[in-house]
Amino acid sequence: MKQPVQPDVRNALLMIALISVMIVGFSLVISSGQDPVIALQTFSTRFLGIFIEAAPFLLMGAFVSGLIEVYVSKEDIVRLIPRHPVLGTVSGAFLGFAFPVCECGVVPVTRRLFMKGLPMSVGVAFLLAAPVMNPIVLVSTYIAFGMGPVLIGRFVITAIVAIAVGIVFALSARPQDVLLPVSFAPVTGGSGTPITDAPVRGSRFIRALSVGSNEFFDMGRYLVIGTLLAALMQTLVSQEQLLTVGSGVFVSVIVMQVLAFVLSVCSTVDSFLALSFVNTFTTGSILSFLTFGPMIDVKSTIMFAGVFKRRTVLFLIVLPFLMTLLIGVWINLLMQY
Amino acid sequence: METTLEQAPPKVELQQWAKLIVQFGLAAYFTYNISSGNLTNYVNERFAWLSYVAAILFVLLGAATYLQLRHYHRVPEHQPVGWGVIAIVAFPLLLGTLIPSRPLGVDAINGSINLTGVNVGAAAIVAKDPLQRNVLDWLRVFAQTDLPASFDGQPANVIGFVYREPDFPENHFIVARFTVSCCVADALPIGLPVYWADQTTLPEGGWVEIRGDFEAGLFRTEKTPILQAQTVAQIEQPDHPYLYP
Repeated sequence: MKQPVQPDVRNALLMIALISVMIVGFSLVISSGQDPVIALQTFSTRFLGIFIEAAPFLLMGAFVSGLIEVYVSKEDIVRLIPRHPVLGTVSGAFLGFAFPVCECGVVPVTRRLFMKGLPMSVGVAFLLAAPVMNPIVLVSTYIAFGMGPVLIGRFVITAIVAIAVGIVFALSARPQDVLLPVSFAPVTGGSGTPITDAPVRGSRFIRALSVGSNEFFDMGRYLVIGTLLAALMQTLVSQEQLLTVGSGVFVSVIVMQVLAFVLSVCSTVDSFLALSFVNTFTTGSILSFLTFGPMIDVKSTIMFAGVFKRRTVLFLIVLPFLMTLLIGVWINLLMQY
Repeated sequence: METTLEQAPPKVELQQWAKLIVQFGLAAYFTYNISSGNLTNYVNERFAWLSYVAAILFVLLGAATYLQLRHYHRVPEHQPVGWGVIAIVAFPLLLGTLIPSRPLGVDAINGSINLTGVNVGAAAIVAKDPLQRNVLDWLRVFAQTDLPASFDGQPANVIGFVYREPDFPENHFIVARFTVSCCVADALPIGLPVYWADQTTLPEGGWVEIRGDFEAGLFRTEKTPILQAQTVAQIEQPDHPYLYP
């Protein structure tokens, strides 16, 4: 159910970005006077360190996403959600624990749920919260940061933002103003394409695995590129330079949000990327990276555009952006005094 | 949305083979990392089990790709993954196999080294026999008091690599280690200042074992315990190059 946004063009752009990053990196090494062989080895160790720690979680995410695709009936989920708008929204935010999806998986699943008649506000809360509020991300964040303010903050902030945005939708929005016609449930008058769970051919488990395999490659590219940038940054940019940006109460938060948006790294593994910043960036900015990124990034924006009307997409980006920005800055101020 | 193809077009079939190779290649790479001990160059040993999980899942996904390839017409597949994506995901495999594995060393200290205690629980360290304490243990012990002179005469036996900066006082170097909590992304260089008159024989970045006593002194601008070395022996890089806080 991916939105085919000219995959060839997108991949070509990704490749161009990758190659230009390498060229810039290489010329930086030459100009900084480091021994290129040693710099390459240091870079390789840093890159593989993040990749080796992150790959298992990406694989688990892809595997579970395959299982959900094949085994879980969407009707059951819709039936289980409370009908009360606020209760429904809150349970939507926690639905990810029963239904672990990262931000790549959440959009198609939400769209299917909408077609099966899931209320708007519940879907929006699920969409924003599920990439963080799920067991895989809980474990990967715990492994990266241990039990502490980052782990707790990540989950609390995500719940707050997702529920708040969901309630805004519950109060004000009607589905026909928000969703594209293709995402309507047929009962609400939409001309939704009839969605039946795909016919089963061959073993279901093998199908789940091959869906998972595709997911791994699909998400793996963002992990590789994000890791590449983080490793290059650590190898080439000095601590002092990073600290100049990373210690600003406000600037650091904005920088990390933009980074999260651009890198689009899967929420199951973004903790490990965030680790590269813990020694130089403020805690508030790390938290905004870990909360805003899973909700909104380049790839989820593209996917949102296939479900929601344009104005809603904008709304879905701006609200979480502002909220995580405010919370990030507030945490920085709290920690300063 | 889904089309059932009777025969895989050749391009898609080639891509499936490429995916297969990348997945089994990564499975082999993760397994090799575990068995060769190279894994500790990258991650905290505590999380080694994750690499087993990864190796198993890579094999499972690879096997599914193979079955899909064998019985292509039976498995309706959504959008196949393109060449660009396969190439990007193959990049870590390429890096891992082409570039010899090495832990972060002296060249990775990018900026400044941490001479103050790392701010994690330290109560247990005090009970540890001083001769068993590593660089991190010592920094933690130092962080518990404001009196650097209170360690005068305490014996120490630590290993680490040699690190120097131009502004170090004469005949001083730092015996340094990297701490790694999760993986090398959070690696932090730490170290103890060492006084040792015979500096010329010690290569920068080389691993050494130092025996000596502490004596408080001025290092750069701060009064701090300085390890007065009695012997400095050059040693092989240890199996676990990082310290795990």
